[in-house]
Amino acid sequence: MTAIALAAGALPAGTGTHTILAEEFHAPGLGLFEWEPLFNIGPVGVTKPMVLAVVLSGLLIAFFWAAFRRPQIVPRGVQNVGEVGYLFIRDDIARNIIGKKGDQYVPLLFALFFFIWTFNLASVIPIAQFPVTSRFGYPAVLAAIVYVTWVGVGIKAHGLGGFFKAQIPTGLPKAIYPLIIPIEYASNLIVRPFTHSVRLFANMFAGHLLIALFAITAWHFLVEQPTVLGFGVGIIGVLMTIVMTAFELLIQALQAFIFTLLAASYIGSALEEAH
Amino acid sequence: MSQDGQDHQDPQNIAWSIVSYLLSGILVWGGVGWLLDRWIGSSPVFTVIGILGGCGLGIYLGYMRFTRP
Repeated sequence: MTAIALAAGALPAGTGTHTILAEEFHAPGLGLFEWEPLFNIGPVGVTKPMVLAVVLSGLLIAFFWAAFRRPQIVPRGVQNVGEVGYLFIRDDIARNIIGKKGDQYVPLLFALFFFIWTFNLASVIPIAQFPVTSRFGYPAVLAAIVYVTWVGVGIKAHGLGGFFKAQIPTGLPKAIYPLIIPIEYASNLIVRPFTHSVRLFANMFAGHLLIALFAITAWHFLVEQPTVLGFGVGIIGVLMTIVMTAFELLIQALQAFIFTLLAASYIGSALEEAH
Repeated sequence: MSQDGQDHQDPQNIAWSIVSYLLSGILVWGGVGWLLDRWIGSSPVFTVIGILGGCGLGIYLGYMRFTRP
């Protein structure tokens, strides 16, 4: 409905909107994200996002397997690409954020970044055309893995009591602590895993919806119900689909990076806090 | 918080920590206020105080944590 209003606003005043803006135009909605099972394995209905997740994971594993199977001292071909990826995670994320102890978390961060990026990229791969991470389950589980790691690392580093004690900020007036401590714990233990996963999910969800909206607008006004006056709207749809796809490419990499960066930041805080 | 002044000061993390503090402040103290209101029957006095106070405490916590040297 909003789409119709927007489209109508884009037209010169005075044109009879009813003659050109077909009533049957349906803006895409939540239906884009709901998939019927393609087939069943036992009681589990396997949907398109699941198939994408498995296939893309397989491709990713195959790619890095090929890259690091027989490492040469002077890297060539795929190994070059793999090493650039590895060094990026090690130097720019692990060592930069966590510090000297960062190296042992590179495997986790490396896997997180490339899985998320690939899952996001599925949004613009023809045929796939669906960002796996726009189904909340995927970012939720990834954030849960980071959360469990954060708690585990913290307890290992400081002990159970130390882990909780380490989270309390130091150097504030004593009277304020009873008010501050519940906020600190609620923030770290409850709100943070939530914002961590929702940020990725919401970005991918909105991006997919936008691309779909413009693509459907183009399709509707240029193919399904072409009219002279609707032509301009259709062209805008085509151009915006291209612009949004380019923009999405940027957001996909950025969100994968931010998710990994924050994961590193949480792990780093568990290691360093408390003295 | 580490003593060497390196509290993972990357801007992304700080921004989201402050959002998290604000949300948590409102949820925790707004929630306490709401429970008090239900108990005493003074709705919505304590809920409002809790939400505003929690918001203020969240800002204070974020400020103290990330702006001091």
